[in-house]
Amino acid sequence: MKKKVLLMGASGSGKTSMRSIIFSNNPASLTSRLGATIDVEQNHVRFLGDLILNLWDCGGQDAFMDSYLTSQRATIFQHVGVLIYVFDIESREAAKDLEYYRDCLEGLRQFSPNAAIFLLVHKMDLVRAGREVTFEKKRDELQECSPELSLSVFGTSIYDESLYKAWSNIVHTLIPNANILSTHLSTFAQACSATEVILFERTTFLVIATSSSSSSRPALSSTNGRTNNDARQSDNPANTLDPTRYERTSELIKAFKHSCSRVRGEFHSLEMELWDFTAVLDEMTKNTYVLIIVHDPSIETAALKLNIRMARRKFEELQGDSLISS
Amino acid sequence: MAAAPSPADHPHNGLDAPDGPVQRTKVLLLGLRRAGKTSILEVLFNQLPPKQTFYLETTMRIVKHQVDTVIPLEIWDTPANVTAENLGAPLSEFSSIIFVIDIRDLYNQPISKLVEFILAANKAKGDIPIEVFVHKAEKLQEEDKIENYRQINDRVLDRLIDIDPDYEHLNISFHLTSVYDHSLHESFSKVLQKLVESLPFLEGLLNVFCANSQSPKAFLFDIRSRLYVATDASPVDSATHNLCCDYLQMLNSFGPLYKSITSGSSRQRPATQTPTPAASSGPSRSPSLHDSAAGSQSSDAPISPGPPKKHPKELFYPSAATTLHPVTPGTTLTYHLITRHLALLAVLPTSVYESRRGLLEYNIVFFREGIQEICDVEDEVRDGG
Repeated sequence: MKKKVLLMGASGSGKTSMRSIIFSNNPASLTSRLGATIDVEQNHVRFLGDLILNLWDCGGQDAFMDSYLTSQRATIFQHVGVLIYVFDIESREAAKDLEYYRDCLEGLRQFSPNAAIFLLVHKMDLVRAGREVTFEKKRDELQECSPELSLSVFGTSIYDESLYKAWSNIVHTLIPNANILSTHLSTFAQACSATEVILFERTTFLVIATSSSSSSRPALSSTNGRTNNDARQSDNPANTLDPTRYERTSELIKAFKHSCSRVRGEFHSLEMELWDFTAVLDEMTKNTYVLIIVHDPSIETAALKLNIRMARRKFEELQGDSLISS
Repeated sequence: MAAAPSPADHPHNGLDAPDGPVQRTKVLLLGLRRAGKTSILEVLFNQLPPKQTFYLETTMRIVKHQVDTVIPLEIWDTPANVTAENLGAPLSEFSSIIFVIDIRDLYNQPISKLVEFILAANKAKGDIPIEVFVHKAEKLQEEDKIENYRQINDRVLDRLIDIDPDYEHLNISFHLTSVYDHSLHESFSKVLQKLVESLPFLEGLLNVFCANSQSPKAFLFDIRSRLYVATDASPVDSATHNLCCDYLQMLNSFGPLYKSITSGSSRQRPATQTPTPAASSGPSRSPSLHDSAAGSQSSDAPISPGPPKKHPKELFYPSAATTLHPVTPGTTLTYHLITRHLALLAVLPTSVYESRRGLLEYNIVFFREGIQEICDVEDEVRDGG
């Protein structure tokens, strides 16, 4: 199954940088070496085995943008699964950025009316004071530009976990059976006496699904679904955990994977018994990793590893099923 | 004593409020304006992201930072105009002098100032180690970097030899550093090691551990600052050091991430043994070490026979292991907490870790006891002084 993902935004807004961090395991410090993208760079990223992301990184210089909107209009905007539009928060030509954004939305409405749209307000690290306020203002401005859409807007920076949060949400919309995975993960969590179980994609380490159900994947559950989820979850200790833990975990593991690659090693597994919790991170299927968090001190890591080994086949099957059915 | 200590008693940081007159080892940090002195301290001890150091204000007066690493330090961050005379303390009080030079600054000014201080320090106390950090290495390309580093090195030594040929043998070390990579940690580790009096004993224990656990390399790290306090006798390979440093950083960040407010209190391992561990281990401490330390201070401070030790032996020590593939035949990095400040990071063949984990942990128990005894003696001496 192939999904077309359009990555658009003004030149220098950070599209290629974030792509290189998420999909190529490069550290943020090396992104300054990237040059400007000329025209469209197409990538096929194998994600979750048989799900292939066809990533169109569209160079943002005016000449290219004009051509996307005119001569290449059909090629660019048809069969789009997801549009990711990146705004540089420090942009000096915000008005022009918005104009192009509006034109792109128009193109998308014409050729792929069902595409999901994500807006990333990027380079948030450059905002020195009042980050929250600046972001809110920008979001309102974007909402004004596209009144008929319910927008998913994320403030992002390549220097912290916010980038992983945004991309995990994006990817989540592309996975057809995320809810089924969640259900199975909670069964698995129960079997392990775990507080929480999190499933990651292997190469990007983006979060695919968690045992604490779909409500923790925000942005997706609309407001009406939230009330009953809250009630159901109120006694789950996972609720008291740090709300940014998923994306921070992605960020930490990605950084460590990069460290490993510098000694020509490849990260394989991790187990920890720390003051506050026990955790095991290990391969689940050939393209996913699982992280089990246990607060019960009597559970040993070896038992968790054994459980992972026994659950492997089931999860391989689940993945296989999903890909055939979609 | 019998109650197992709650997790709250084990802060992951080293910045405990200093209670009582603990004797601190003094380190003097010198350099011209904007050389990077405050940046170095902030990155090492306050976890400031290197990118943010750009926004630090210029230091206008002497700031004394109390830092609790394996030994308690007092680091004096100074403004550029400080001299040996207006420092406010004799140079002989300092155990180490770090001089920071911007690598792009090849002119006379920093070198004159450095030479001036070297001479003053030598007059005050002959054996103060002088550490020159040729800093901001990231600003130059690889070739220029080495060239400038060498030039600064040569100029300082030439100037000293011009003054007196005997100065060739002064205790001066040069380090090429940058806050953007591991060079700062590695260099500062070496500075710290010279200040740890018990270093030979720590190294001895590490050698024994490595020999008996088939570990090709093991480090004793100060957890919070990620400086290594000691390592075994095999040469330090920067790549391995960097990996261990990153591993420690990851574990430090992971710790608070899944901390649960509701289930946190149930976390301590149940104390099942009937005798409390503190009681059983108190008298069995190595008498020779204990006595020599106590003897040296008995004249000015009577030791109360009450609580035998400040901290009882704990039943649970955090540990972690990560496995790398496909470096043949597979490498495992282990982490074991040793004291409140120290952790052992060891590189092991995965086969050894998987098949002999029990023996490994057995070795670590003894290693830990040894290190704890050494640290306790050190603490006692400092508290008494």
